[in-house]
Amino acid sequence: MIVTNTETVPGYRVQRVLGLVQGNTVRAKHLGRDIAAGFKNLVGGELKGYTELLTESRREAMQRMLAQAQQLGANAVVNVRFSTSSITAGASELYAYGTAVVVSEGA
Amino acid sequence: MQFLVALLLFLGPLIVFGVLIGRTLESRHFRRLEQHAQANADFFVTQLKSFPYAISADAAKSGAPIGAVTPTLVCTEVVIASDYLKNFFASWRNFFGGEVRSYSRMTDRAKREAVARLIDQAKALGFNAICNVRVETAEIGDRRKKGAQAMASCLAYATAYHCVEASGRGAMGGLTPDVAWNG
Repeated sequence: MIVTNTETVPGYRVQRVLGLVQGNTVRAKHLGRDIAAGFKNLVGGELKGYTELLTESRREAMQRMLAQAQQLGANAVVNVRFSTSSITAGASELYAYGTAVVVSEGA
Repeated sequence: MQFLVALLLFLGPLIVFGVLIGRTLESRHFRRLEQHAQANADFFVTQLKSFPYAISADAAKSGAPIGAVTPTLVCTEVVIASDYLKNFFASWRNFFGGEVRSYSRMTDRAKREAVARLIDQAKALGFNAICNVRVETAEIGDRRKKGAQAMASCLAYATAYHCVEASGRGAMGGLTPDVAWNG
């Protein structure tokens, strides 16, 4: 599956546009991570736990989006966008959406 | 009163210690980002939707020894924590107004690190350019909640592809439109 956040894929031609596909997830870290994040405020720096949280959410949301695209019979998802929002402390919502298309090689 | 003094004696050194380390780590991080930028000066970063100087799949197949050909999405995320000194400065700034420099630096760190990681990821996949870079603020937890800690979280994504070497980019190549390092 070709995934890009551009409208076209160089070297490929869009044959059919299948429509919007989306994936969504809300994830939270366990309390330990939140406490660790609190300690991190002494020195600042990267909060690895929360970075991981975002990575996991993004993977999950993208997987759901790709599954939907596969169901539609697409072989590419173009113009992918992400958006996030906070639901409650320590939890994040990640929403991925894109357009499922069928592409074939050749400009 | 005694309790307060004891608390101050206990927390004071801890905070000073933390602040000193935090400062050092921050400047070290900026130095690392600077080095990363220099080391990847020939990596082509744009936030254009088209694929500037792209090598077409056909051309790539016929000769050019490149790893991956089909463009692909790369994503990275970074969360940077605030520290007590920053919070203190920020609350002070809140009173007088103006730029909250300590927080600007914090968000700058997150964003630059995210783009640097995009470059690393694209490189690891065998690409030499990324386009359509989007850097978004991610939200974790509720920052409007009282007592919630400030942090800078961001989510960056781009499409990795293959472009011609710097020498083949012509006049525009010298202008290397680079979204990441202009601060």
